[in-house]
Amino acid sequence: MADDGTTASTEDAALGDVLAAEHAAVWGYGVVGAALPVDGRAPAAEGEQAHRDSRDRLSELLDGRDADPVPAAAGYRLPFPVLSAVDAAALAVVLEEGVSAAWVALLDSAGDAPVRQLAVDSLGAAEERAVTWRAAAGRTPVTTALPGLPGS
Amino acid sequence: MSDSPASAGFPRRRLLTGTAGLALLLAGCTSGGSGAAAEETTAAQEDRLTAQVPVQEAVVAAYDAALAADPALGGTVPDLPGQAREQLERLRAAAPGATASSSSVPPGPPAGTDVRAWLRDQVSAAATAHAAACVEASGAGAALLGSLAAGLRGHAAALA
Repeated sequence: MADDGTTASTEDAALGDVLAAEHAAVWGYGVVGAALPVDGRAPAAEGEQAHRDSRDRLSELLDGRDADPVPAAAGYRLPFPVLSAVDAAALAVVLEEGVSAAWVALLDSAGDAPVRQLAVDSLGAAEERAVTWRAAAGRTPVTTALPGLPGS
Repeated sequence: MSDSPASAGFPRRRLLTGTAGLALLLAGCTSGGSGAAAEETTAAQEDRLTAQVPVQEAVVAAYDAALAADPALGGTVPDLPGQAREQLERLRAAAPGATASSSSVPPGPPAGTDVRAWLRDQVSAAATAHAAACVEASGAGAALLGSLAAGLRGHAAALA
């Protein structure tokens, strides 16, 4: 049992969902970087590394709980063609908003304070990256009031 | 680059469905009825949310003060004040016992200061406070506070 009575399995399931989202983000950032000019790939590389770090941390966390970490999927399908730098930025927005939703869902389920700390830190970092990518994609507004929550 | 065949399950859904998928994923997050943790929404939980209302009121007041001190700032970040108010409304809705307070409203930016930097500091401080409260909360309350904190971190990034 987690520290507030939440069943560990509920939390583990939410952790697994975040891990799946992070796997997708790592893959997706490879597409983002490939669609950017060579001299403009640094933000994509930084984003990819951030998601690799999150993925590894989540895997270790689940391993430590004797829960099987969700593996990366054999393949992913893009939500739209990524043919330009603007498309790449738009895909990065999708990726960051996807992981944000998963982190918020984890906050809703987590019983352990350290897990909530991880989630809120990661959620904030994802939104910061999303702001940059929304601007690069020409989106307005570049911010969102309630990242990861439905209807925001 | 060609698309890979999508495997069944979560990643494909997440990439393909965008906000619709997010809404489905989080359908329970604001209803107060999702997960075991959400069920422990008690008076203490509501108190935690109530305690954050003055923090968010201060953010709204800081935007008002900053725009009064530097009206041109509003043209560069036109959506942020409205989003701060939206956040406050969402928080108040989750903490119905909260009442408007003036004690937490900070003074405006000191004369001669960089108004944008001052505002960014106010927003960042509120984000930190919401994040700390999130860690102590649980269930839907934690989800809301975490989202508020992230939203304000995004504001701070936009103000950088």
